[in-house]
Amino acid sequence: MDKIENKETVASTHKIGIYLWIWGLLFVLSFFSYMVDWFQFQGLLRWTLILIFMFLKAGLIMAFFMHLFWERYALVNVLLWPMTAIACFIGLMAAEAKYTVFTRLLYFFIGG
Amino acid sequence: MSDEFNQKNTPIKAQSSESTSGSSGSSKDIDYVRPAELPEQDLYHGHSFITKWIFCQDAKVIGVQYFLTAVFTGIVGLVLSWLMRLQLGFPELVPFITAEHYYQFVTMHGMIMVVYFLTALFLGGFGNYLIPLMVGARDMVFPYVNMVSFWMFFIAVCVLMASFFVPGGPTGAGWTLYPPQAILPGTPGSNMGIILMLVSLSLFVIGFTMGGLNYIITILQARTRGMTLMRMPLTIWGIFTATALAMLAFPALLVSCIMMTLDKMLGTSFFMPTILQAGEVLSYGGGSPVLFQHLFWFFGHPEVYIVALPAFGIVSDLISVHARKNIFGYRMMVWAIVGIGALSFFVWAHHMYVSGMNPWFGFFFATTTLIIAVPTALKVYNWIITLFRANIRMNTVMLFCLGFIVTFVNGGITGIFLGNVAVDIPLSDTYFVIAHFHMVMGIAPLMVIMGAVYHWFPLVTGRMLNEKLGKWHFWFTFLGAYSIYFPMHYLGFIGVPRRYFEMYDSPYVTSAIGMNEFITVAALIVGFSQLIFIYNIVVSLSIGKPAGKNPWKANSLEWLTPEVPPAHGNWGEKLPVIHRWPYDFNVPGAKEDYITQTTPPSEVISAEVEKT
Amino acid sequence: MSDNSLNNLPGGFKGMSQDMGSDQTAFKGVQWGKVMMWIFLLSDTFIFSCFLISYMKGRASTVVDWPNTSEVFSLHVNGVPVPLLLIAIMTFVLITSSGTMALAVKYGYEKNRKMCGWLILATAIGGLTFVGMQVFEWSKLIHEGVRPWENPFGAKQFGSFFFMITGFHGTHVSIGVIFLFIYARKVFRGDFDNGKRGFFTTMKSDYVAIEILGLYWHFVDLVWVFIFAFFYLW
Repeated sequence: MDKIENKETVASTHKIGIYLWIWGLLFVLSFFSYMVDWFQFQGLLRWTLILIFMFLKAGLIMAFFMHLFWERYALVNVLLWPMTAIACFIGLMAAEAKYTVFTRLLYFFIGG
Repeated sequence: MSDEFNQKNTPIKAQSSESTSGSSGSSKDIDYVRPAELPEQDLYHGHSFITKWIFCQDAKVIGVQYFLTAVFTGIVGLVLSWLMRLQLGFPELVPFITAEHYYQFVTMHGMIMVVYFLTALFLGGFGNYLIPLMVGARDMVFPYVNMVSFWMFFIAVCVLMASFFVPGGPTGAGWTLYPPQAILPGTPGSNMGIILMLVSLSLFVIGFTMGGLNYIITILQARTRGMTLMRMPLTIWGIFTATALAMLAFPALLVSCIMMTLDKMLGTSFFMPTILQAGEVLSYGGGSPVLFQHLFWFFGHPEVYIVALPAFGIVSDLISVHARKNIFGYRMMVWAIVGIGALSFFVWAHHMYVSGMNPWFGFFFATTTLIIAVPTALKVYNWIITLFRANIRMNTVMLFCLGFIVTFVNGGITGIFLGNVAVDIPLSDTYFVIAHFHMVMGIAPLMVIMGAVYHWFPLVTGRMLNEKLGKWHFWFTFLGAYSIYFPMHYLGFIGVPRRYFEMYDSPYVTSAIGMNEFITVAALIVGFSQLIFIYNIVVSLSIGKPAGKNPWKANSLEWLTPEVPPAHGNWGEKLPVIHRWPYDFNVPGAKEDYITQTTPPSEVISAEVEKT
Repeated sequence: MSDNSLNNLPGGFKGMSQDMGSDQTAFKGVQWGKVMMWIFLLSDTFIFSCFLISYMKGRASTVVDWPNTSEVFSLHVNGVPVPLLLIAIMTFVLITSSGTMALAVKYGYEKNRKMCGWLILATAIGGLTFVGMQVFEWSKLIHEGVRPWENPFGAKQFGSFFFMITGFHGTHVSIGVIFLFIYARKVFRGDFDNGKRGFFTTMKSDYVAIEILGLYWHFVDLVWVFIFAFFYLW
């Protein structure tokens, strides 16, 4: 690789501050996630909070540590749209699980 | 890194080929093409026999290696099919074929043909050879990883073949490997056989991930100057989309293989419910066999499109070259390929209508299955319209293309039958399904493979295959394949089940006996007639007519290398520069009936070329 | 890495359609190795997604109660059970190592070999610590009777999914740690400055390789975020 002038490279990297900010935010979110268990929230509130904090943390890591915030749209879209197939799979398997447990309860316990 | 990205000197200006803003060059240079963004690829050169022919990093050699290995496995699969047909047509004839053996043949035939033959052939064989040539690169972007990917595939094949020789023999669970039977006694090969199969599949997935990265990134990031995505031949679009599907679908297969291996080896209960075996309650419990089916078919359905899409792409190119006409509706063909690829992830449970899954799923999957039929049908219409009033050369290649269209339409229509839940219920697990998938995935892509070999043999070897032998080969194969699979639809309608070792003395399937004999005889004839093909290839290698450069007068880049067969580095001193799409055939006003992709506009100024 | 000429290109969706419509490259200014890692990570995401989806399906289908994760994964400090303590520490370690990796990439591009090398080593140590704690957790649970095929706390599948998912993740971390040590050595030796050719691939070394390894490492952290949320917390 040809040597790139220092001036060019220094200008194109980020200042250390942003990494420390994101790092701090990740700790705060992890702490909040931990608090969800500490306070023993249950049910829908628990799951909603878990998911929100999880997606926020994932989003911060992908956007800033993995640099996607600054990448061009072509790359970001190519990476994110396939997740719709996963989302479809998740939804359908949740429905399948409900059906499975229903048939088990029906046939093993109620004797249907 | 093999691409030394020079950011200092090269101005990066994303510019579509269709930009008419004038920013491309105020000099009104009609031959202008954007300068290179990247410096030349740092190409590896092998110097010893081992680095030039064994552990070779040249994609062309790797492509031939994949091709030969895949064809070897295909021949094994073909022989297995003969053994199966012998049992079905003439049950007492070969005492060696017991029920256990029969199910082992069924399983190995299926797995070999779908995964190790067709996928490896299209992606590894055609992909490796054609991608760098057709996009104007010197080689794949990661030649070392490419080389490793072939040897992973080779090891996977060795492990698979080893399963024939272990105690218990290979697995007889069906290519779908459904638990709980696959790992329980009663199913052949439920000990070592299934383990080796799962290990082999895992190795295959790892190898094809490596190869797939190469194909995708070469197509996206290593095209030559002027080669936009919409100027790539449809062959590349088909292989590219299939590779993208492979990258996203193989993970589900890997996961299901790992979980089934753990169920067998560690006694976990991912897929194993509470189960009785010969009166004894096993220690498994709580698992879900239908989960395996969902995971397997989440892979399995994209897999069949991984086999079909390259065939779609290749046949489009073969038709346009041999009919001397641009492919009708190129852009829609591209979007259809991409659309089919995307939709293929949302249709998987149409293989599971009778599995006992959540009954409401039938609505969702039948709907998406019928939707995916639309872009597929669009492609068929476009192939036919391409042929309409074209200057068709009725050579062997064109015959195989026509054979593809006929068999694919047949298989596709029966797919509509099976895609509907209510119609699928009586037809599921009958010979109707076998007829459907052999037509659409076996015969049709095989026609394309054979046509492609006749088409590209002159490029790879510098010699033509014999036309007369080719035509005999075609008619035997086409008529024979129809004789095999068309009657099978009837067998399916009357309810003859698949994966049955024998037909028994059932009064309602007496008509099946004669039919099975007929199908078997046809299968053996078609199988042996492939010797014509092999003979043609072997003999033409030495005494075939020398082809010279671009014997078919095609437009795409692979025919335009300075040396034929293409040498290492493909293009000699200078990389090609692209000015048009590969379908400028019979352009009004042009001197010849074809204009190659590298022909600059100034040389065909009198022709009414469309801007592509 | 952005530089002046990349900034001249239109951004947003218009930029995306122009990029995709242009010749030569679809991802402007992105080296081949980086695209390779991203697409590999996409594939790996599908693998872990399938594992987690299977876990969801398996757990939601049991008629036997699923073990209480707060209790199973708690550590006893001075006789007081602290739920998920080990996991919290592991999360802290992994996020920190992600931070040091991001800094290492920055210093790498600035050609600051010392800072880069030490930060890569710090990341590697973090990863090693994480794996060590994971091993400790495994041994603790095995000691308490958790096996892949059964466990004393609840549904059979708990042990199966736990060992499989954390095992796969731990393997990914371990592979990352190995590469981190290799790259630390390359940085200290100055291979990335010299463009020294690699042993296997014979391709020239370049600082973008550290960014590529960084992507892998952040992915490993990302998967942990999901495993932590779905397996330990849920």
